[in-house]
This record gives sequence, C-alpha cells and structure tokens, in this order.
Amino acid sequence: MKQTARIISFSASVLMLMLGTAHAGSFDIDAALAANLKACKAAPTGTPLKIGYAADFSDLGGFADKPASEAGIYFVELVNCAGGVNGSPIEFTVKNIEGDPEVTQRAGQELVDAGVSAILGPPFPDFGEPLLQVTAGKVATLFVASTEPTLADASAMSFLVAFDDTAQATAAAKFALDQGWKTAVTFSAPGPYFGYNPVIFTKVFEAGGGKVTSDYAFVPIDDMDFSAQANAMASAGSAPDVVYSAMLSFQSAVLRGQLDGAGVETNYLVTDAFEATGGYFTKGVEGFYHTTHSFPAEGSRVKALADGYAAARGAPLENASFGGLAVDAIAVIIQAYLTTGSMDPAVLGTAIGGLDGVIGATGTLSYSGSNGSPSKPVYVHRVVNGAPTLAATYD
Amino acid sequence: MIELIQQIIDGLGRGGIYALLALGIAVIFGVMHLINFAHGELITVSAYTSYWLFASGFNWWFIAPAIIVVAVLTAVIIEFVAFRWVRGAPDFTMLMTSFGVHFLVQALFVMYVSANFRQFPRPGWIFDTWRIGDLSLEVFDLAVIAATLVTLLGTYWLLQRTMFGVSLRAAAEDFDTARLMGIRSNRVIRGAFILSGVLAGVAAIFWLMRSGQAGPTAGLNPMLKGVLAALIGGLGSLSGAVLGGITLGLVEVLLISRLPGGTAGLTDGIVFLLIALLFVFRPQGLITVRRVERV
Repeated sequence: MKQTARIISFSASVLMLMLGTAHAGSFDIDAALAANLKACKAAPTGTPLKIGYAADFSDLGGFADKPASEAGIYFVELVNCAGGVNGSPIEFTVKNIEGDPEVTQRAGQELVDAGVSAILGPPFPDFGEPLLQVTAGKVATLFVASTEPTLADASAMSFLVAFDDTAQATAAAKFALDQGWKTAVTFSAPGPYFGYNPVIFTKVFEAGGGKVTSDYAFVPIDDMDFSAQANAMASAGSAPDVVYSAMLSFQSAVLRGQLDGAGVETNYLVTDAFEATGGYFTKGVEGFYHTTHSFPAEGSRVKALADGYAAARGAPLENASFGGLAVDAIAVIIQAYLTTGSMDPAVLGTAIGGLDGVIGATGTLSYSGSNGSPSKPVYVHRVVNGAPTLAATYD
Repeated sequence: MIELIQQIIDGLGRGGIYALLALGIAVIFGVMHLINFAHGELITVSAYTSYWLFASGFNWWFIAPAIIVVAVLTAVIIEFVAFRWVRGAPDFTMLMTSFGVHFLVQALFVMYVSANFRQFPRPGWIFDTWRIGDLSLEVFDLAVIAATLVTLLGTYWLLQRTMFGVSLRAAAEDFDTARLMGIRSNRVIRGAFILSGVLAGVAAIFWLMRSGQAGPTAGLNPMLKGVLAALIGGLGSLSGAVLGGITLGLVEVLLISRLPGGTAGLTDGIVFLLIALLFVFRPQGLITVRRVERV
C-alpha cells in the first residue's frame, strides 16, 4: 500500500513538473530589485507562497543569518511590491534557532506546521542536521550561507545556496597555481571548514605541481598568538610563496603581523570567513587574497541589493554577500514555483534539484546534475587600499 | 638549544597575559571562594568600549586607561547587581550566578549590538620584533612580561602595605570574624571587585591590542585561560596565578612547536590531560594555599 502511494506521489510530482515546465516562466530578479517600495503595484491576492527561515541569530551563526534574514525580508517586500509571483504574495517567516539544536528542531517543526513550501537554513551543520531531521526529505531546505559539503543532498531535498568548500578550496588552489606560486604552507584545525579547506587546497595544489611544505595547527577564533608557528617558519629558511588557511580575518591579521616580524615575507590566501568576519575593517590585511561569494561591482545585482537596502532602511546591510545569498535562495524557490506551478513542498524540492541557470543576486545557480551543491562562480578578491578588488573568477 | 630558548621566550609572552587574567580570578576567589566565570565579561565590555572609542576618533593613549576604568566599573556593577544578592548563599549558587552573568552579557551584545565581530586598529608597534642573534624578541611579549611583573608587585604592595589589603586578607581568612572586628563587608568585597577589574583591565589592554576585535564572546577564551591558569597555580594564590599562567603559556607553545605535523591540533586536549594529571598528584595546584572554610 505504501509502495503504491509512493509511486502515485512520485508520478504526480513528475506530471506536475512536466505540466509546470510547459508553462514555466523565468523569475525576473532585476524587476524585483528595481521595485520602488514607495510606489508598489496592487497587492497580490493569490494564495501566498510561504517560505520559512530557521535563522541562527546567536553568536555562532548570527554573523551570517542576521544580514541574510534582513536582506531576505527586504527582498520579499520588493517582490510583493512588484506584484508578487504569478499573483501570489510571498509570506516570509523568520524563526530564531538561538544556536541550539533543540530550538532548531522546534523552529523547524513550527515552520513545517505553518505549511511553508521551503525552508532556509542556518550556516553550520550542527544545526543544519537537526533541521534536516525535521524536514525529513519532505520539505526543501536551502542552507543560505553554508559551504559545508555534507549538508548538500538532493535526495533529502537539502541544498546549499553558496558554493561548497570543495569548490572554494579548489578555486583557491587553481588561483595559487595561476599566480605561479610553487610552495605553500597551510594552517588548519581538525574538522570541517578549518580542516577541510586546507586538505582540498593541498590536494589540488599538489596535483597541479605545487608543494605544500608544512601544515601548522591553530585554534579557530581563539588563537591570537602565532609566535611559535611564525618562528618555526622563520627557522625553516625559505619563505613559502603563499600561506593558505580558513582563518578568521582578525586571526589572519595577527598571523601576518607575526610572520612579518619574524622576517617571513609571503602571500596570503584565505577563505570566505575573511569577509564574513569583517576582513575589510581589519588593519594589516592589505594585499590579502580571499575567496568569496560575490563582487559588488557597479551595476551588479549585489550592489543594487545593498544600495536599495541602505536607501530603504537608512542603514547599510551588514554583509552584502550573505544578503545576496539569501536573495539567491528565495529566487531559487520562486523559480521552482514558476517551473512547477505548485506550492507543494515535495514538488518544489524535486524541482529545485533539476533547476538550471537560475539568476540570483550573487550569480547564476545550477543544481541539475549536482547532489545539491549549486554550480556557481567562486570570486577571488584582493584587498587593495582596504577595499575589495576582483582578482579572478572561477566558474 | 636556540630553538628551545626561542620557544621559552614565546611561552613567557603568551603566559604573561594568562597570568594577568588569572590574577583577577585569584583575588575574587581569595575573598569570596568564587571562581568568577563572569570575569571574561570585563574584557567583552572593554572590547566593545574600545571599538566605540576608536569609532569616535580616540587612540590607544586614551583607550588603554579607559579600558581599565570600564573594566572596574563593569566589575563593580556586576558585584552590585548580581553577586551582592547571593553573598551568603552556598558557593554553588554564586558559581551559577557567575555563569548567568556570563550568558546574559553575551546575549545582550548579540541582541542589541551584533553577533558579528567588530574590528579596531592595533597599535603600530604590536608586531615589532628585536633580533638578538638567532632569537626574535617581540616587543609585545616584553611589554606583557614587564606589565605582569609590575602588576604583581603592585598587587602585593596593595595587599601587604595598605589598610585595604589587610582588610581584604582578613576577609579572605575568615569573613565573619573580620566583620565582627569592624571590617565593612560591602567595602571589602567591592574593593576586591575593583582590584579584580583593574587586573582584568590591564589584561584586556594587551589582549585587545593583539586581537583588535570585539564580539559577544570576546571574553570567553581569556576567561577560560585565566581560570585554567588560576587552577594550575592553586586557587586563591596570587603568585600561584602568575606561575600557573606562565606554565600554561609555556606548555602550549612547547606542544604547538614540538608535536609532530598533523597532531598539533591536539594541543588543547593534551593541555587538559596534563592539568588532570597535575591534579592527581597535587590537587591543590602548584602552590599550596591554606584552605579556609567560611563559617
């Protein structure tokens, strides 16, 4: 009986997808971003497309989810102001998971009970995994700011919105090789992100002919003294061409200061954590390279989002990249709705896994053929005069 | 040999800050038998104050003394708002109160400021290094070591040569008898928190000069290091706090430098293991402090 129900449900999903595709339109993100909140179109009256956000506003994930949720709320206002989606308004509900797995599950369940069509999730797997236990593969979950590869699983309707760490570290290694750098030293800490990025970097860098001469350990967030590592590097003789790590900005500035003091002159290449932790407000990081999610070029959608937000709210968006990623997530859900014509969570989740070329704020996202990690560009910035300049883009 | 000397110098620099942090914790424990887990909040508040003062155009010459003033004010407020009301309660209640203050301050910054880190500039000399042969001496490390020595001597002078110090030591010995002898408990305890605030302020200056960032958890790591150092040295002992801080710094640097590649990430785990071993053989810590039970 269960088997029959599954077959009927799957067939219905496929049929709706086919029907939807036949009538599919593309979401016009530019029209939404250009909407004037002071002169909106008539309010959409259709059944609302409900989107939830299990956001972490604690000291753990707040650096990402706070600006992301603020941008999400603003963007939904813009979409509704522009007439909604096919006559339906978007209803956006944000629930604070407080950096707590139990609260995450409670918030997730409340969103599911409220009938959301899709849920945006927090940045860290410690809370992403509990959320996925609640959605149980029945409601699409899009992790706005996470780069954690293990969270991507299309079969469980679990998707990343950012590139994953494999893509990020691979792009960094390619960039290092493209600069002609032959030797590297990595700083890592056991576990995901701080450990995983250096591992992938090493693999790709060495496969491309480079050599990682040493890997030094550090304690993420807390370490503020790298004199032991700096003096060990200095006594090793020749400085590496590049130091690669996933350190936070204020830590990497200390590392650079102490390496300079020890007479080790080198290049610094870091991850998206640099920008996420206020890298451009940090002294001593001039010349640093880092991978990130967007480049706020004049005329870009991220710039339009940040400028529009600042004008509407009277204060700048704390982090435009995370804001852009939240807009990406909402754009993906809207596109899945336009493609299928359905607000059913399972139908939308299946549709997202097959989407191609969705135009978001940070770039174009494609999920088809992946396991839930979007194919999208990785930007490499260089800090010049305390501001980002685009050094390279890797698709 | 040069390598070992270099590591000892690095360890002394690292341990100097831990010692300053441990001193403040030791002072409060001496008087109240409280391991004050809210001690880190003095640094968190100082960090945000530094950020706001920098944003208002002030420099380190103004901000460094301001940090001490803010740390003292915060310590006095915490004592008045939280600890005064549970003073006669069991030690466990005071411990829980200190946890409560820690989490409350953290939550207030997350809610009303930001969960994100705020950056402010470090002093220009912070990474200056003097070379003596093959040895690198960071000016910052030398400044920390000097500040630790001066602070320790100053604290000793205060406790041994002033009426306040006599009152504080008497209260630490037997609080109730001290009260019967005419020592005003409110004044002594407030004084202990002021002293602890000064010590936290001095530690915060160096910690923040190097980190250059404010965040809701800015005080967490310094507090943990300070508590560990105080435990290693022997809770309640000022010289023990300094010895504990220096020991912790040295052990960390030696482990980071000497553990084989790929295993240096185990440093913190091994440090805790060593502390556990220390307590097996010396439960009182490195320096024995005469146990005093309050009546």
